[in-house]
Amino acid sequence: MKKLLLIFLSFYFLYSTPIFAQDDLLDILDSEVVEEPEIVTATFKSTRIINGHSIERMVKRQLDFRINHRFGQLNEGGYSIFGLDNALINFSFDYGINDWLMIGIRRGTNKKVYDACLKFSLLRQIRGVKVMPIALSYYTDWSLKTLRGLYDLPDMHNAKWKEITPRFAYTHQLLIARKFNEKFSLQISPTYVHRNLANKGEKNDIFAFGFGGRYKFIRRVALTWEVFYTNHVTKDNAYQYPLALGFDIETGGHVFQLFFTNSRAMVEDGFIGETTSNWLDGGIFFGFNMSRVFAVGIGKHKE
Amino acid sequence: MKNIIIIAVFFCGFITQIEAQKYITKNGKIEIFSETPLFVIDGVNKKVASILNAANGNVVASTLIRSFRFEEALVEEHFNENYLEPHKYPKAIFKGKIIDFDKVNLKKDGTYNIKIAGKLTIHGQTRDIEEPGKIIIKNGKISAITQFNVSLKEYKVKIEKNYKKAIKDNILLKIHFDYKFYK
Repeated sequence: MKKLLLIFLSFYFLYSTPIFAQDDLLDILDSEVVEEPEIVTATFKSTRIINGHSIERMVKRQLDFRINHRFGQLNEGGYSIFGLDNALINFSFDYGINDWLMIGIRRGTNKKVYDACLKFSLLRQIRGVKVMPIALSYYTDWSLKTLRGLYDLPDMHNAKWKEITPRFAYTHQLLIARKFNEKFSLQISPTYVHRNLANKGEKNDIFAFGFGGRYKFIRRVALTWEVFYTNHVTKDNAYQYPLALGFDIETGGHVFQLFFTNSRAMVEDGFIGETTSNWLDGGIFFGFNMSRVFAVGIGKHKE
Repeated sequence: MKNIIIIAVFFCGFITQIEAQKYITKNGKIEIFSETPLFVIDGVNKKVASILNAANGNVVASTLIRSFRFEEALVEEHFNENYLEPHKYPKAIFKGKIIDFDKVNLKKDGTYNIKIAGKLTIHGQTRDIEEPGKIIIKNGKISAITQFNVSLKEYKVKIEKNYKKAIKDNILLKIHFDYKFYK
């Protein structure tokens, strides 16, 4: 009889223990939920590192309106308050067609340039159960300088189409970036620029290698830097490597980029191909980009 | 004697069956909402996982902070980068119990007002909460609904001085889980 009781009790405990504790429930939950890979976002604060484009795009139905300024050279002196009298302006609209494709249009004071760009994402950086160490995007830009009398070209408004073509330049760029952690991101940007018309003794094609990054040292503020090494710069010409250093400051709705750069043009073929100022003799421009992102065509939580 | 054992074993088995009745969801919904004259925050997370143990009313729920979606990409970025910091605290977790679960009859359609109590962990901070909610039984399916405010301050989500007018301290959470039978 005792034996039977023992068997009975052992069965009883064997079966009736599972009054599940909450931690056990949580374990079940963890085993049931399939972990998803995490797509890394916010590698950079905006679509530009400084002059050049960053890996970031506008996501679907988001419109980025930017007003970019480059003031005059610091070494212009007190008469033009260190360049602040002479601002060049460039405004642009960039729009996300979907989460991997962005288009943009731009107009700049410098050489009265219009340009259109397209950027799409080929690879996203992924963490977690799947890993992709880098993000890769392709960027292209077509620009048209409309300034009268440029390089003794005929006036655009009277010229035939084939007389306009020398005013075009094209940029192709691979943007390769990695967000190492929440603070630190790096990007390299192999770049090819073709100008339909180059100055005498210069090549139409320029190859450049961009190197940029950011270090977000406190919440909302990051240090940014960017330099382009290019075969365009030789001992025999006056061209310089474009180098820029600055800060990204993010407020509730805007991103402000404040920086110093030796290039005054804001289009790729301009700052890679036409930078002649030198950091060492004060040929530095203060620059200021302002970006405001709008959600266009609001729907309700579409995924 | 043998009969007694058989009956006993049978009986034990019966008990376990009741006790092991668990219900699960992997796509529960949490909406977060805050409105000030300056700024509206309106986000949704449709990837919340939860288990309800119908034997004793124990409930757990867990979700990734990164699963919250906002209409404006910028709000989503700020939510993650500046406030909830999922790189440090990836998950929000609730462990608790429906206190008066006995009054819910799973076999009878209807809406039951209940109380949920337990520990809610957000932003690495764990707080005891006790909030009213509802269990809705319809055609044998269990849904759990609750909504309550959480204070950002309590969970140490820091809002800068300049933004205190735009973002309220109390954020409304609306929670809706539709459970399925698990085992």
